[in-house]
Parts: sequence; C-alpha cells; structure tokens
Amino acid sequence: MHIEIDEIAKIFGATTALQPVSLAIPSGALVALLGPSGSGKTTLLRILGGLEYPSSGRVLFDGQDATGLTVQERRAGFVFQSYALFRHMTVFDNVAYGLNARPRATRPPRAEVARRVTKLLDLIQLPDIGKRYPSQLSGGQRQRVALARALAIEPRMLLLDEPFGALDAKVRKELRQGLRHIHDETGLTTVFVTHDQEEAMELADLVVVMSMGRIEQIGKPSDIRARPATPFVREFITA
Amino acid sequence: MSDATLGRAPAAARAFRPATQETPWVRWTLIVIAVAGLGILVAAPLIVVFAEALGEGWAAVIESLGHRDARSAIRLTLTIAAIAVPLNAVFGIAAAWLITKFDFRGKAFLITLIDLPFSVSPVVAGLCIVLMFGANSFAGGWLVANGMPIVFAVPGIVLATLFVTFPFVARELIPVMIEQGRAEEEAALTLGASGWRVFRTVTLPNIRWALLYGVLLSNARAMGEFGAVAVVSGKIRGQTATMPITIEMLYNEYLSVAAFGMAALLTLLALVTLLLKAGLEIRHADQLAAFRRL
Amino acid sequence: MGKPLIHRSPMPGFGLSAGITLTMLSIIVLLPIGALLAKGAGFGIGNIWETVNRERVWAALFLSFRLSLFAALFNLVFGVVLAWVLVRYRFPGRRIIDAAVDLPFALPTAVAGIALTALYAPNGAFGSLFKELGVRIAYTQWGILIALIFVGLPFVTRTVQPVVEEIEREVEEASATLGASRAYTLRHVVLPMLAPAALTGFALALARAVGEYGSVIFIAGNRPLQTEIAPLLIVIQLEEFNYEAAAAIGIAMLLISFALLLVINLIQVWSRRRIGYV
Repeated sequence: MHIEIDEIAKIFGATTALQPVSLAIPSGALVALLGPSGSGKTTLLRILGGLEYPSSGRVLFDGQDATGLTVQERRAGFVFQSYALFRHMTVFDNVAYGLNARPRATRPPRAEVARRVTKLLDLIQLPDIGKRYPSQLSGGQRQRVALARALAIEPRMLLLDEPFGALDAKVRKELRQGLRHIHDETGLTTVFVTHDQEEAMELADLVVVMSMGRIEQIGKPSDIRARPATPFVREFITA
Repeated sequence: MSDATLGRAPAAARAFRPATQETPWVRWTLIVIAVAGLGILVAAPLIVVFAEALGEGWAAVIESLGHRDARSAIRLTLTIAAIAVPLNAVFGIAAAWLITKFDFRGKAFLITLIDLPFSVSPVVAGLCIVLMFGANSFAGGWLVANGMPIVFAVPGIVLATLFVTFPFVARELIPVMIEQGRAEEEAALTLGASGWRVFRTVTLPNIRWALLYGVLLSNARAMGEFGAVAVVSGKIRGQTATMPITIEMLYNEYLSVAAFGMAALLTLLALVTLLLKAGLEIRHADQLAAFRRL
Repeated sequence: MGKPLIHRSPMPGFGLSAGITLTMLSIIVLLPIGALLAKGAGFGIGNIWETVNRERVWAALFLSFRLSLFAALFNLVFGVVLAWVLVRYRFPGRRIIDAAVDLPFALPTAVAGIALTALYAPNGAFGSLFKELGVRIAYTQWGILIALIFVGLPFVTRTVQPVVEEIEREVEEASATLGASRAYTLRHVVLPMLAPAALTGFALALARAVGEYGSVIFIAGNRPLQTEIAPLLIVIQLEEFNYEAAAAIGIAMLLISFALLLVINLIQVWSRRRIGYV
C-alpha cells in the first residue's frame, strides 16, 4: 500500500513533536525512520498507526484520506518496542488474538485460525512454541512472536518501533535478516523506527533522517552516505 | 493532553480517542458509580456520626464526654494504645530486620505466621487470649492466684489489642527494607560502625516514614478495636471499658448522644489518621510500601 | 536440600531480632492460638462435631459465610471499578475519593456499626426511604450485608490499584492495533491482568467479613437462625462460661480462615508462575 504523509504536525502541550512534515512511501517499500531520541520519529510512526492524532495535516493510504480512521480501522500491523505481548496468553493465543477479536461475522472458524497461526509460527521459524507463555521466551523469540501477531491480522502495512532496540548485538543481526525476509515474503509496505544508522542503512530501501521534529533528508542509503544533505545528517551517519 | 491545533485541523480531531481510553460516556458512568457508591457506603455513615452526636447541640455532647465513665474510657483507650503501639513498633522493626537482613530456612513460613492475625476473626483472637490466660487455664490460674489477673483486666485488653494489630508495622517495613537492600548497612559496617549505630544512623532514617505509616495504622486499629476487646474486657464500667466498648454500652442504653459523641471522637481520630496517611503518601511515596495492602 | 539453616551474615543483630520476633510472636499469637487448639483437643473431635453440628450453629456459620461471599462479590466488582477510576481518570475530588477508600480500615468497627444502624434503621435517613418501598434493611440480613460490604470495601481496590498503575499502555495499544474494540480489550487483555490481584483482594475481603463482629452486631438484630452471625455465637457461649463450646466454634472459624489464607497463597503462586508477577 502506498502511504502519503501530507504536512503532518504534532504538538503536545507546549512542545512541538513534529513540524509539518511530508513524505511519500511507495507501495512495498522498506523504510527506516532514523534519528536520535526526540526527533519525532516514533510520533510519526504512531500517527501512521492511528495511535496519535496529528495536530494538523493528513495521512493518505493509496490516495484515500485515512486521517480519521481509528486504530482498529487502519489494519496496521504494529510492533512495539517492548513487544507488548499479552503475558497471560500463550504464544498461540497471542498470535490468534487479532483474528479472535473480529466481530462474529468476519471471524474465521477455529480451525482456520489454528491453520493461520501455525503458518505464521513457521514463517518466524518458531514452529514449536505455541503452548509457551511470553515469560518463557528469549528476547529475540518475543520479538518474532510480536511480529507474527502483527502479521496475523493481514495488515495493510507493517509499522515497527525500534524493533531491535531491546536485543543484544548478535541477536539483532540475525533478526534484521529475519525482518528483511518477512518483508520480501509478504511484500508489505514496512516502516520501522531506529536510532541506529547502521541498522537503517543495512536494512532499508529508503531512509528518512529526522531531527527535532523535522525531516532532514530522504534517500537511498547509498545516496545519504554519499551526499548528506545537512551537517546534522553528516554528523549523525558518521557517528 | 491538549492538542493545540494549527492550520487546517481535521474536524475529526475532537472525536479522536486514544486507544487506551474509554468513550466519555463510559468514563463518566464509571466515575459516577464510584463517587456515588463511596458517597452512600462511606460518606453517609461518616455524616451520620456527627449529625447524631450534635443532635441535641454541642453542650449535650460535651457534657456526655465529661462524664466520669467517659473520661475513664478515654484514659483507658489512650493507655492501651500507649502500651500496645510501641510494643508493636519494636516487634515490627525486629521482625523486619530479621526477615530482610538474614537468609534462613522457614522465612516464608515466618512471614505467614506474622500475617496470621489478619485472617483470624477478632472474636476468635479474644477467645484465644481468654483460653490462654483465663482464670481456669493453667497460666491464668497461676497469675490470678498471684494477684495478676489478665482476662477481664487491662493486661488482657493489651494482649488482645496486640494480637489484632500485630502485623501492621512489620507489613509496612518489610517491603521497604527489601527494596533498600543491605548495601548501605554493609558499607557502614566496613567503616567500623557498631550494629546499633548502623541501625540508628543508616537503617532508621531510611525507614522512618514507613515506620510512621505503620504506627499510624496500628494506632488507629488499637484505639478502635472492638471484637477482641469485647471478649476479654469483661466490660466493667470505669475499669475495663475502652472507648469502643463504652460506645456499645451507651448505645444499648439508648443514650444516643453520648454514644455518638464518643463515636465522633474516634471518627475524628480515623480522619486524622487518613489525613496524615494521605500526606505521607503524597510527600514520601517513594519511601513507602504504600498501596500494597493495609 | 542441603540448604543451611541460616547463612552466615556479617549483619549484626540476628540473635536480638530473632529473639524479640519469636518471643512476641509466641506470647501474643502462637500460644493463644495453641491454647484454643489444645482446648479443642481436650474437648475431643467428637464433642467438637456435636457442638458445631447443631441447627443454630450451622445456621450462623452458613449465614456468615453466605453473606460474606455476597459482600465480597459486590466488593470485587465495585473495587475493580473504583481502582480503575482512581488510577485512570482525572476528575475533581479524586484525591478525596482515594483517601476515603481507606475509611473502613481506619474507622473503628463499633462506630461503623452504630452509624450504619442509625442510617438504615426504619427512622434513619436511608432506612425511611427503603421503608416506603416496603423493604427493611436494619435488623435483617440486608443490614448484615451492608455492614460486611462496608468493612470489605478497601481490599479489592487497594490490591488492584497498583496493578492498574503498572499496566503498560502499549499492551492496550497493541490490542487496539490488532483490531480489538475497547470493550474487547478490557475484557480479554485488561481484566485477565487484574484478575490475580482482584481475586486476592476478594479472598481478603471474604476472610475479613467472615470474622467481622463489631460493625455487624448492631445492625444485625441477632435473632437465632435468622440474623445471628458465627462470631456472635462465640461471644454468647463465653458469656455463659461455656468455654468448650466457644472453642469448638472458634476452631471451626479458624479452619475457614486458614482455608481462605491457603487460597490467597495459591492464587499468588499460580499467578506468579503463569505471568511472572503478582
């Protein structure tokens, strides 16, 4: 799905989290929102997911104004930094959650839910953990379960907030490939937030460098490396 | 969260509801239920106490509280609290020190035993004291023979009060002391401080607000205990009738103003306790185990 | 399993603190409870059973337990609502309401008893309203229920409140992004997270209500078989110097308390094992 951000701004009380920013994300792209903390990248992601409402501006999905859509209506697969797994549910029930939460008319039958969950657990290469609780998983496994849970609702896009933030360096590298693989497999438009320039450069097709609520530069990793548009970008990507 | 709107704000902005919020309609319904429920269940009885006490004017209440039996009940209740609360504090500190500074087998069981009085009916507590120290028990018989009766006398009331208030101070201190760990005390020890000095200069300042909190709660309960005391006191007017027991006696004699007058005194105590408690929670929340359980 | 009785520790005061703790625990709590059990043992199980197995005693135990259960159920629902409102919503007077929740803990039971009686007696402020509807509250089982609701009010609220505070907003947001309505989120995500704490509070309120005496006897009417609670039976036996019978009923109540205590602990173990926190 093609996403267009049109002059979106967000103000919390006295602080401006986002200056009016505009950005077009082509369908099927893997995009990194890169910047230090406080740059507005997470706010922008949450606005895309419908978790925050912009103070001004519009969001367009495939050319349609989606600004007023509720979180539920957006069908954005969202992976939180803390993963936000449901601790009282098994992995299976976590992944099945979005399907079971549908109104009766559109809820798939039990067997179909089970089939889809099994398929997703295969996709994240953790086929045997359905009966476990999140507290019994490693950090990397939790991240993949959160991803599978987000994918279960057949989302129109995938939004990830610092998906590798809570992991140690080795696992992080492995899971980057995992995300790339899942992106290529599903073809979903994917936006992830990161403060790690190496991660953004390695993984993304398109990198959006942000600072102080502004977009500093949009470009392919190679372009940004070769031609940093502002002193901030130059400093940030060499840091 | 005030969203300042600039430029062409979409009309839907006002309808937007964060994902973690209920609709205003649900929100206000729940608030009304909560406020009305507490109003009916808690505020109304509170108002009634004062309304009944002042039903015949200030003079009548003040006169009833000046009565000899009333004065003796107040004195007795203050005496009981003055004995029971410090003992409780000593026990609470000792138990918390033992539990948090040492590792030994059976610790969980010890904590369960300390908590036991919370789940025993006050009447059963009183009954236990009677059976232990009553005139026809082994220990009680000896004590009575030696001129130290416990049951139907002040010591029995103190014991019953101690029983029901037993866990309060320890309960407050243990979580706070667990959180603070042992590092500071260990540091002081390596600097050559004596055990007593470590406690006084390191531990006590760290736990003083939690201690005060526990003392407040145990004091309120000590002055207000009825069931356990009713069983052991024998209800001798002027001698073993505490304030709550006197309230019962006056009430049963249809001396409404006197009964509610004394009730109002205890209610004021409860309100002061709550006020101090709220104050502590606001100013020293970080040093309290607060909100865990009372 | 080979765990030493006590680990050596550089910390001073083991002897003193253990001495004070065990001595006071023994004199004030353990020996008196032991005296009750010894009295029961001397009386014999057969005799205890004979004392308890009478219509009046069964009626009182059943009444105490049944009304305590209803009161605790009411407090379970109301307490969860209250905890939610106090943590999540901002409204004028919130702090006062928060402090007022503790009043039933702080107010002496005898005071609560006479105040509730005055309020719900046929000529009282609320009692007269109910009288017009043809319902009597004071001196009936309704009165007992109200008193038991009053004394158990804070338990669920105070156990659930910290858990509500700790719920990560992201978990609720995650539920919403997966398409769940707010109601579905509350029912399937929030409530299960609150359940262990709410059940603990429920059991505590139940334990408190079963043993409650002071706030109930004034409003109860105390008619045998109808509005006579179990603790009152003990008091009556004691007034007749019938120590054996008092001990028998006391032991029955103690067993109920222990059973509830066990339930509370099991809930906590269960919830810790399953979700890693209480």
